[in-house]
Amino acid sequence: MYRLFWKIFLSFWISLILFSMVTIFMTSAYLERLRTQQSLGNARGQLVNYINTGQTIADKQGIQGLKDWLQKLDKSQAIPLLLVDSVGNELLGRPVPEWVKNRRQRLPPRKPLPPRSGAPHRRPIKMPDGQLYRLIPDYQSVTLGRILSRPRVIAIPLILAAVISALACLLLARYLSAPIARLRRATEQLAAGDLEQRVAPSMGNRKDEIADLARDFDHMAERLQRLLTSQKQLLNDASHELRSPLARLHMALGLARQRSTDNIEPELDRIERETERLNELISSLLSLAKLESGSNQIDKQATDLQALLETVVEDAAFEAATHQKQVHIQQSIEATVMANSALLHSAIENVLRNAVRYTKPDSTVELAMMIEPSHPEWVVITIRDYGPGVPQAMLEHLFEPFVRVEQARDRNSGNYGLGLAITERAIHFHGGTINAYNEAEGGLSVMIRLPVMNTSRTAK
Amino acid sequence: MAHLLLADDDTELSEMLAEYLTRENFTVELAFDGKATLQKVQNKHYDLLILDVMMPELNGFDVLRELRGHSSLPVLMLTARDEDVDSIIGLELGADDYLAKPCNPRVLVARIRAILRRAQTQQGTIADEAASEIIQLDDVELHSGSRNVFCNGNLITMTSTEYSVLDTLIREAGNVVSKTELSQRALGRELTRYDRSLDMHVSNLRKKLGSLANGQERIITVRGVGYLYART
Repeated sequence: MYRLFWKIFLSFWISLILFSMVTIFMTSAYLERLRTQQSLGNARGQLVNYINTGQTIADKQGIQGLKDWLQKLDKSQAIPLLLVDSVGNELLGRPVPEWVKNRRQRLPPRKPLPPRSGAPHRRPIKMPDGQLYRLIPDYQSVTLGRILSRPRVIAIPLILAAVISALACLLLARYLSAPIARLRRATEQLAAGDLEQRVAPSMGNRKDEIADLARDFDHMAERLQRLLTSQKQLLNDASHELRSPLARLHMALGLARQRSTDNIEPELDRIERETERLNELISSLLSLAKLESGSNQIDKQATDLQALLETVVEDAAFEAATHQKQVHIQQSIEATVMANSALLHSAIENVLRNAVRYTKPDSTVELAMMIEPSHPEWVVITIRDYGPGVPQAMLEHLFEPFVRVEQARDRNSGNYGLGLAITERAIHFHGGTINAYNEAEGGLSVMIRLPVMNTSRTAK
Repeated sequence: MAHLLLADDDTELSEMLAEYLTRENFTVELAFDGKATLQKVQNKHYDLLILDVMMPELNGFDVLRELRGHSSLPVLMLTARDEDVDSIIGLELGADDYLAKPCNPRVLVARIRAILRRAQTQQGTIADEAASEIIQLDDVELHSGSRNVFCNGNLITMTSTEYSVLDTLIREAGNVVSKTELSQRALGRELTRYDRSLDMHVSNLRKKLGSLANGQERIITVRGVGYLYART
């Protein structure tokens, strides 16, 4: 339960403790250094330096310059340096601690000593107006508040905090997001059809909500795989089981024909036609199911689209000629596409067969294949017929399974069946698009766009 | 009367087909699996084998592969309708023709007759050696009597269908033979839609004969028209 909570909680505390420890260590080291400065001679030397500088500034820039310098010094130093006159007033008006006042008052007002004599760190700074000031370090006022309000002093722990927390967050984020990224990759591959994807083994012996999710993902993938396998098996079995009686039906029909008298020939023809239709329907259903489920089992290779189009046209022209119709390629280019040639062949063929079916007798179905002018990475195949076209409202449903263009039409002419549905899915499988539109002067145009590998612009 | 062997595991269908073929004046024997088929073929002479791809034990391809090792018995393959590759594999392995199942028995009979005609010319002419004719073009020699093909003096084994295709193309060497005409003359039947059998026979011929001495392709595909046997 909430193992992720404990992990976050723990890492939060670790970084907090780490930060506190480092800060405490650094602060104490800093304070230690300050304290040792107090007792060491070099602290005095530092003070002498300040006194000398102060005297120089007082000589050159007068009292105002001295005030500026003192203010700057106060901001950068942790230890306040007070400049106190003989009666105990501070130059900048800062409060003077009692012990300083007391000491000042205890000392008898001396005569001005000759410069550069006496203990150098006790030497007063002489103002242009002759007044004497003493520079007194107020060690006892070194408080944490004072240290923290000095930007230079506060900057170090701030940077420290940022570094430590960034490090902790980075580790935590990496720890949390790496398995999520793995899950995401697996999900993408699963969606692309690779049902072998499993993530739990890559989680090691991790035990939290993410590991649970990974296990659940694996369960899901396994179940999906089982379902799809059984569906595929069912499809194969169904295909075989449906085909066997059909084959026998064909055979029985043949036997019936052998024995028949002429007067039942029309009925036998009818039976044969319907059997053939049933046969084609099974084929279409199977290829549609194949396209929609196991698309990862269809392999693609570099295919000469021009040659493919020519074979499709050759076959269709053969059929069209028997109905006094023609098929003609108006324009063509060389183009290679990544495709499953059998699938792409049947996709284009379905469109072309429809065009041949609906175009008027003695008309020509026109094909054109070209590179899309504005997008050279697409090749466009247009198939245009001179038939009745399709009602505008039906255009967008044209590629759905079993769409009828006109309810009133009889089945022979109005049903687009599964052909165009298969075409659409096959074109999508190849990363392309397909759409249909009515030509202004009558007839339907179907436009297939496919991503192209390479072309030569030699138009034929 | 031609003697046929029908190899198919669907007994009901086989019996009906046998009845149909008997009425068409063939004598038919049945085999229901691959092993039985091979046994029957070895023990007895048949004029033609109708071979279904989907069979238990050995499938149709296995039988054909085994068979082609020692026999040029004419074979008509029955393939599954949705498996385009089946027909290609079958023809590649040396089947004389194929038909997708479920098939129209009338079409089946027409195919059987076409194959038998080709095979019978072969047998008929062996007896009549005098009428034998030798066609020679470059390094290829066709003996129409024995229907043997020699390339560079080496005997090339080929099915009677492959022989017919080569014969037709060589007689028209230098000219393009349309697919329709080639189908009619070599296969003895009309070209059908999506018929890849000519392409496969031609591809087998190319493999068996190799390219011409100058490295040129022997049989050139004229896209959208047909085939051309190249002269040097």
